[in-house]
Amino acid sequence: MSSSPRSRTSQTAIFAVAVGAAIIGLSLVLVGLGVNLLDAGHIFVTGLFPPVAVTTEGAQIRDLYTIVFLIAAAIFIVVEGLIIWTVIRYRRKPGDDTLPPQTHGNNIAELIWTIVPTVLVIFMFVISWQTLSAVDKSSDEAQTKIRAVAGQFQWTFDYLAPDGKTILYTEFIPLASAGGGMNVPAGRTVQLSLVSNDVIHAFYVPQFLFKRDVVPGRVNQFDFTVNESDVGQTFRGQCAELCGSGHAIMLFEVTAMSAAEFDTWLAGKAQPAPSGEPAASGPAPSGQPAPSGQPAPSGQPAPGAGETLQVTAQGVKFNESALTATAETPFRIDFKNEDPGTPHNVAIHQGSPTGQEVFKGEIFPGVAEKTYDVPALPAGAYAFVCTVHPNMTGTLTVQ
Amino acid sequence: MATTTLTPAASASRSALYAWLTTTDHKKIGIMYLINSFFFFFFAGILALFVRTELAQPGLQFVTDQTYNELFTMHGTIMIFLFVIPILAGFGNYVVPLQIGAPDMAFPRINALSFWMLPLGGILLLLGFVTGGTAAAGWTGYPPLTEDYPLASTGTGQDLWIVALILIGTSSILGAINFLVTIFKMRAPGMTLFRMPILVWTVIVTSVLVLMATPVITSALIMLFIDRNYGGSFFDPRVGGDPILYQNVFWFYSHPAVYVMILPAMGMVSEILPVFSRKPLFGYKAFIFATAAIGALGFSVWAHHMFTTGAVYLPFFSIMTFLIAVPTGVKMFNWIFTMWRGQLMLKTPILFAIGFLMMFLIGGINGAFSASVPVDFAVHDTYWVVAHLHYVLFGGSVFGIMGGLYYWFPKMTGRMMNETIGKAQFVLMFIGFNMTFFPMHELGLAGMPRRIADYSSTAGWNDLNMVATIGGFTIALSMALLLWNIFISLRSGEPAGDDPWEANTLEWATSSPPPDYNFDRLPEIRSERPLFDLRHGRTAEH
Repeated sequence: MSSSPRSRTSQTAIFAVAVGAAIIGLSLVLVGLGVNLLDAGHIFVTGLFPPVAVTTEGAQIRDLYTIVFLIAAAIFIVVEGLIIWTVIRYRRKPGDDTLPPQTHGNNIAELIWTIVPTVLVIFMFVISWQTLSAVDKSSDEAQTKIRAVAGQFQWTFDYLAPDGKTILYTEFIPLASAGGGMNVPAGRTVQLSLVSNDVIHAFYVPQFLFKRDVVPGRVNQFDFTVNESDVGQTFRGQCAELCGSGHAIMLFEVTAMSAAEFDTWLAGKAQPAPSGEPAASGPAPSGQPAPSGQPAPSGQPAPGAGETLQVTAQGVKFNESALTATAETPFRIDFKNEDPGTPHNVAIHQGSPTGQEVFKGEIFPGVAEKTYDVPALPAGAYAFVCTVHPNMTGTLTVQ
Repeated sequence: MATTTLTPAASASRSALYAWLTTTDHKKIGIMYLINSFFFFFFAGILALFVRTELAQPGLQFVTDQTYNELFTMHGTIMIFLFVIPILAGFGNYVVPLQIGAPDMAFPRINALSFWMLPLGGILLLLGFVTGGTAAAGWTGYPPLTEDYPLASTGTGQDLWIVALILIGTSSILGAINFLVTIFKMRAPGMTLFRMPILVWTVIVTSVLVLMATPVITSALIMLFIDRNYGGSFFDPRVGGDPILYQNVFWFYSHPAVYVMILPAMGMVSEILPVFSRKPLFGYKAFIFATAAIGALGFSVWAHHMFTTGAVYLPFFSIMTFLIAVPTGVKMFNWIFTMWRGQLMLKTPILFAIGFLMMFLIGGINGAFSASVPVDFAVHDTYWVVAHLHYVLFGGSVFGIMGGLYYWFPKMTGRMMNETIGKAQFVLMFIGFNMTFFPMHELGLAGMPRRIADYSSTAGWNDLNMVATIGGFTIALSMALLLWNIFISLRSGEPAGDDPWEANTLEWATSSPPPDYNFDRLPEIRSERPLFDLRHGRTAEH
């Protein structure tokens, strides 16, 4: 027997029950109402429901979520209610020292709470399976094919011809940029292929209610169709699989265009390709690095140009920290990108890495080499930066 | 197989310390497990506070993103491998031999060995902090992030992480063998398998899981070590390896490990509820079969951690994951009906046990969302998963551990813990826990990925993160109360006597703390409640 007096035991028991009930009430109010109101006004925060889906597949997932949620909520209320009621009802009354009936079990009860949950989970499995076959599919019939290439820590989007191989246009998203990303035609099925240059990433757009890992050495594909009613909207997306120190800044956006608008936009972007834009030769679908050791001739060396500076990018860093060039004389930068699949360039900014851009070399994935022709610059202090990776910097002194 | 140590005649304090450091007594080893685990619990809890502080507001205020990755990696790794798993082994170490009426574990020296590997593993893990950065690839350590890539987690810390985990895993395996032999070979006369306390049953199932699963992760870790240091190509896609292979092997251990982390806590709750309800456990045999079923099904669900990889057969792992809810539900109802029509003495241990039921229920219901593959596509790798796993491991395991601590503290020390502080700790912990982790469901649904150091202030996640951070510090406050309670109770707690709770099982039939080799004599064992039989005579047969 406890050494504390019995009357005190029962008082503390009632106290505990009251406090317990208060906590539970408080928690439920807090999470059910209060917290939800805190972020009211944000369309993304919809309490215990996912955001409203902007794809047909997402809408099906949201419907499934609703069913699962309702079943879960019913179980939650019944069982939590049963626990709370049992604790309050069967707490020990003051002075009551009788031994309760020593019930050891009941086989019928055990049978009921084995069979009912079994039926319930099989039901949930079946509806989940049905939804799965509708939302997790990939068809080569899709009119629009896009390839998302993930690398530490930015996304690149290749717009592909219907054959799924030829690249019509490549969009590099600068590191940690607030904007930029993928344009998609609303109402049209898009086949998205996912390729990684380095570690595992995940393509995640919350309003699609969908994510898929981007695994090196493997191509994952899925189809999605953005609702026509969402034309003009932009959805935020980001990497959802830990990929290193820059995981949090691996952002992109998806913009829904009307189908006609998309075609015009892509045709416009794909146009200046005749001379063969070498930068567009993104990594092969297998995730293998682009063929190495092929210096891409980018423009002819300017005759009579000044000195040639050597710059190498390796491990998402410039090997050189400081360069010097002659003032008022055009010069060349021989740029080697040694990072397989990772796009880099050399841009020159006035004063500091965040200063005004005075020159921007073409962005291209490694392993490759290019020579940039830099126009004459007035004497002064400059910084050279990789546009894709603003943390890759060095100083350039023009004198 | 008791070996007696003849303590050399030395100064009293030296010999006391020497006795602890060289002990092979399961009770002393069990207590050392608890102290060691609580040390790492508080350490990793402080790491979690750093994480929450950084996330309270958008922007990187306190740490760099690399440091942030180290913080949550070490938080997860330490909490799982140096707190939850070992502390449950510690309770098992202390209680199991007592509950089956044995004088010690079957292999006392191996028992000491498996304990001492833990602080060693912990020190190796923490060495990362002074060797240029700890592991930073999450507690899962997925390659290629842990391979030799330019921006990967390539420091010595990651190698130390691998070695520490192998060491801790080996400790688990030795412990599991010891438990199994002890339970099957050293039970007192009359203690048949179906008269054993439920905690002992959960330790059996847990030990089988450890024994079957741990060698698998050990092999994965060795392969990773070879990849990193000797040019292996197991998981490196650049040279033909497959990163998905690692995930399969890793989760083949780590999902059963979830049950290693929860089953003994369930066992502890199953000891507490009958005692404080003054009734037998409802459906004793059903409970055992449900435990065994969870253990068996636990080996067929690992790939539900990999639904979004595009590399697993989804329907099989979906149905198995759903099915595991059935035995779990059986347990939940058995617990509730144990209290039903009882005489509930609402002391601190049962409050934590009730907290376990209420919070673990949420963690269990969440499981159905993850089992539904399309829903998992939406919530996987978001804060929703962080909420889910904490409702299982904190709402479940930690509430159970706290209940167990308040329940067995009198047996271990001979003194009661303070009830008022205990209840205050429970209330604060309950509120703090829900404030921290419930909003994470909403954050995850609103698209916040886990493991990000920073987030956009326009994403709509600001207020929920602030609430979670305040909750985190509330939990810290409740832990301060726990430390204070332990401190004052050790100094001046009420004497406990042999059996302060009117309990049912054999550990309460000996003195508090028990003498060396535990028992002078044992009561007759004719049911799973020998002490109840002693007090009230034999009641209706079940």
